[in-house]
Amino acid sequence: MLIVFVASFSAFSQGKFIDKNAFTSFYSSTPMEDILGESNEVLTILDSSNGEIVFQALMTTFHFKRALMEEHFNENYMESTKFPKAKFKGTIEGFKKEMLTAPVANIKITGVLNVHGVDKTITVPGTIGTDGGKLVATSKFKVTPEDYGIVIPSLVRDKVGKEMEITVKATYLPYGQ
Amino acid sequence: MKKLHTIFAGLILLMLVGKAYSQDLDALLNAETKPTIDYATATFKASRIINGHSIEQMKKRQLDFRISHRFGVLNDGAYGLYGLDHSVIHFSLEYGVTDWLMLGVGRGSLNKTYDSFAKFRLLRQSSGAKSMPVSLSYLTSVELNSMKFTDPIRTNYFSSRLTYVSQLLIARKFNDNFSFQLTPTYIHRNLTKTELDKNDIFALGAGARYKLSKRLSLNAEYYYTYNPNAKYLDTRYYNSASVGIDIETGGHVFQIMLTNSQGMREGTFIPQTTDNWFDKGIHLGFNISRVFSFQKDNY
Repeated sequence: MLIVFVASFSAFSQGKFIDKNAFTSFYSSTPMEDILGESNEVLTILDSSNGEIVFQALMTTFHFKRALMEEHFNENYMESTKFPKAKFKGTIEGFKKEMLTAPVANIKITGVLNVHGVDKTITVPGTIGTDGGKLVATSKFKVTPEDYGIVIPSLVRDKVGKEMEITVKATYLPYGQ
Repeated sequence: MKKLHTIFAGLILLMLVGKAYSQDLDALLNAETKPTIDYATATFKASRIINGHSIEQMKKRQLDFRISHRFGVLNDGAYGLYGLDHSVIHFSLEYGVTDWLMLGVGRGSLNKTYDSFAKFRLLRQSSGAKSMPVSLSYLTSVELNSMKFTDPIRTNYFSSRLTYVSQLLIARKFNDNFSFQLTPTYIHRNLTKTELDKNDIFALGAGARYKLSKRLSLNAEYYYTYNPNAKYLDTRYYNSASVGIDIETGGHVFQIMLTNSQGMREGTFIPQTTDNWFDKGIHLGFNISRVFSFQKDNY
């Protein structure tokens, strides 16, 4: 019985890759103002057995050039005390284990993005592969704040872009190391 | 029988492990999520509740340019455009040297006052991994009255025109909408108007805000003075009481208020408020705050 337990437990974390300090930014540009928020504390785990991938970002880890922007981001838009995390859980389309060891190549990921308490299924482009002996993944895609129930008042409408460009960069290590 | 037990227990264990396995990415994510310290932010919208300081201060490399007006009393009537003919102005530059230290300098037209202050953040309200029920800051300021010295009997020393203020700011954000602050205050005036007035003034301020919407809040502020100035000829002194709203528009905060004080610095509005809410002594006023960032990289 013990053997069964140990065997299942090792299977549990085997083949998982993790990055606790993945980079995520969002950017919007209008003639009035550029907005750039960056976090280096995004947590992501990749399951090499089935191509499942999760990202989790704490809203308060995003930082801005202007302290006021950061305050407004948390207070007025993301409502970080109510919705402290954003999360994405998806699967790499047509996943094969070899994709992780091959040179970096384009992929598509489909999954559910949860921001501001709203779930939305999205398919985003990205890359994955081994670069310089490290497993790396990136993605760049656009989201519309209104899709996640984030209201931009007309007063600042010309300062905040209609779409936010999200950039994600992760460098994975085998889980448990 | 014993064998059956073992199989049964084994099955349960397998089920448990199986369950964990099917949702393991989420389980791993939760296991890797470290408890965070959640600091209360934006307890108030601006660095002033109305007249007095709030617990808020500029963060590192952020400069706040503030312009404030207090108009004459409303009961000037139409002749004085309800007080708008008699405005006093105060403007100041206030800078976050670090996240815990803000320095400011200002000039007010009432008594031609120059002032400077330092505000130190001592404790931050937080929950989560570290719990702290209140935020605490210390404010110290000096005000210089630069009006021409008119008393022919006394020698005019520079020091006699100075007023010192010390305040503890104790604030708590109870929820997203409601915040409350207590402000014990000690004011020392080197020279008072008459010998009947105390050089040392003790006061307790209380201020609160309630958010009406994300960009609009209702504020109230009251300063109770324990040893107010004595009644002098026809001048009486009152506690400072104010109500106002904060309107936030991106980089600006507009504060519009009704108050019985015309002074905009602690040394003035706490001991020297001479108008009475219940005797047509209400002033309309506003503060405008514009924040500039000198931060090069992302904060």
